[in-house]
Amino acid sequence: MPDVHVTIDGTEIAVPSGSTVLEAARIAGIEVDTLCDHPAIEPIGACRICLVEVEKQRALQPACTFPVSDGMVVHTRSEKVVGARKFVLQLLFSERNHFCMFCQMSGSCELQNLAYKYELDHWQFNRPMPTYAVDASREYFVMDHNRCILCRRCIRVCDELVGNGTLGLKNRGADAVIIADLDVPFGESSCISCGTCLQVCPTGALMDRASAYMGASDQVERVKSRCMGCPVGCGTELVVRDGQVIRVEGDWDAEPNKGLLCVVGRFDPQHEVRERVRKPLVRQGDAWSIADGEAAYGLVAEKVAAAGDSVATVASGFVTLEEAQALGSAVRGRKFYMYDLPQTDRTATMADLDEADLFIVTEMDLSLDFQVAGMAVKRGVRKRGARLILVGEGENGLADWASMRVGRADLAKVIAMAKSAERPVVVSGPAGLAAAREIVSAVPAASLASFAPGGNGRGLCDAGFGQTYAGDAAKVTVVVAGETSQVEPGLLDALKKQEFVVVVASYREPWDQVADVILPMPTAFEKSGTTVCADGQAGQVVAAMSTRVPTLEATIGMVAEAIR
Amino acid sequence: MVLEQTKTEDRAAFDEGPLEEILDSFSAQEGAVIPILQRAQQAYGYLPEEALRMISKRTGFSLAQLYGVATFYSQFYLQRRGRHVINICDGTACHVKGAPRLVTTLEEELGIKAGETSPDYRVTLEVVYCLGSCALAPMAVIDGQVYGRLVPEKVLKLVRELD
Repeated sequence: MPDVHVTIDGTEIAVPSGSTVLEAARIAGIEVDTLCDHPAIEPIGACRICLVEVEKQRALQPACTFPVSDGMVVHTRSEKVVGARKFVLQLLFSERNHFCMFCQMSGSCELQNLAYKYELDHWQFNRPMPTYAVDASREYFVMDHNRCILCRRCIRVCDELVGNGTLGLKNRGADAVIIADLDVPFGESSCISCGTCLQVCPTGALMDRASAYMGASDQVERVKSRCMGCPVGCGTELVVRDGQVIRVEGDWDAEPNKGLLCVVGRFDPQHEVRERVRKPLVRQGDAWSIADGEAAYGLVAEKVAAAGDSVATVASGFVTLEEAQALGSAVRGRKFYMYDLPQTDRTATMADLDEADLFIVTEMDLSLDFQVAGMAVKRGVRKRGARLILVGEGENGLADWASMRVGRADLAKVIAMAKSAERPVVVSGPAGLAAAREIVSAVPAASLASFAPGGNGRGLCDAGFGQTYAGDAAKVTVVVAGETSQVEPGLLDALKKQEFVVVVASYREPWDQVADVILPMPTAFEKSGTTVCADGQAGQVVAAMSTRVPTLEATIGMVAEAIR
Repeated sequence: MVLEQTKTEDRAAFDEGPLEEILDSFSAQEGAVIPILQRAQQAYGYLPEEALRMISKRTGFSLAQLYGVATFYSQFYLQRRGRHVINICDGTACHVKGAPRLVTTLEEELGIKAGETSPDYRVTLEVVYCLGSCALAPMAVIDGQVYGRLVPEKVLKLVRELD
């Protein structure tokens, strides 16, 4: 698009036509204060903080939505602008309960920051102080309507990014309130608790139960890392205070998730209830004793040395590429992956999901597994009008988004529809892979996005763990579990039959049912390494906490030392 | 909240037929939420939860969006209304000419407060502020029909005559 010339605070710059005044100001390096605006979503001009003076315009205009035109002259800090912003802030503060000293967001609040910046030192208007209910019906975060400024960021991320469309606004004017569905408690609504609204809330209206009052923005560090929970491989920002991760947020700059996370990746680590393994544990009958390091590593060394090549090593998706390589070179015997193997004939990236005009999801529920991929499907249907066909019976959380549901027998119909689509993408888990491949091979335009459980399945395959474990007999079975909690009962049954089972794990459960020795292992917050996502892209896991738990490499070294 | 007040047995009786026709007639139009809600309300007398769910499913508008529209405009009702709707005007002129007495009389007669519907869904009683017929004060509109220069006896007679 051709450039237009605008003058902002005396600086003349050329910006693409169609830009907003806010975008133009950013290009010029001029900061304009905003509140309802968020880079990841469309601007709506709701809060009026970004008001600027545009010459030849009758009134002040919101920079976030006002388009530039050639020759436009804008003033972003004139007396009139500053006065208007103060007035807007006074109105915002007068509406509900904004007594900052009681709020967990004090120190990190965008509204409070603006109040300091514009030197609000008193309430200019009487406060009606309405009292709204606090909705604590969700497990991980709480909504306090009394602190809400109705910026609608939450509504917009739920609609535009997550594609869930749970949130809305009821009533009008000062009586307006954020609602879920038909004004039901959030915990009973269609909300999937992904927490994206929590991450974008500029005030303390949405409160994370785990990290509330744990640290303001200037007391914490942020470490960019990667979630190892599933092969979508979302980029995370670990919020750290005093060496502890207090909260997980989505990294807005990261592919493939662009700031989104699912309930598991965002909240589960902070709500872990299983007992941590910090010292080696040795089974004594039905009881466990904390062994001193040497005894436990000695016992393992003795068994491994006696087993010769009859060692089976089973790795979960929480094992990094580097850890897998260390295992590969140190441990003899066969190497297995704990779950169904990831597929390398996959051709679709997450970016392809965002361009698809037809989604075909075979035999999987994307509302339960690989949720961030499910969000791409939902927003495609909601925002771009893409169609969704669900193949397979049974309950499916995406049923409300689907334009058609067919049985496995009706694949011909699906193939016919896929042929008439421009960019069909087939999404499948292990169960629906055969059907997915049948569709993809019949439709040249179709691409395949397959997901298998476990975060680093691709990396483990590359490192030689390219076989699914099926209870193969060995004298010593080494399970490298990390923080895995999703374990098939079949796996535990198979392990119970083995002669000697060593589990290297962060948590005791469920391994205390099957192991003879449990050795400690760092969590994904405590180690650095590489994980390979489902689409083959490598991501860096970065340690955000230090730990006295030995690294896997150190554990391998101690066992090797004991053998010698 | 509001929806809970509709009794369960009434919900079970929800007839999809009329809404099906309405939705079919708008199927080619995008963004026709307000006319769809208006027509649905004409058909059912209010906007039952089932109707909102069906509209959401067929149009792709989320439940929250529909609820937002339905609560933004005062013309929409989320509670089942009576077969007869009485609007008593309590604008300035009607007020000074005795509208509050009409309201109290009807509240006593019907055993409900202004803004409520009788439990048998016979009558909904509402107070409105100026219907633009101040020369007829105090006035009321009953089922769309204007009645002026009312006194308690007269309004009682009118309401008792309703079936």
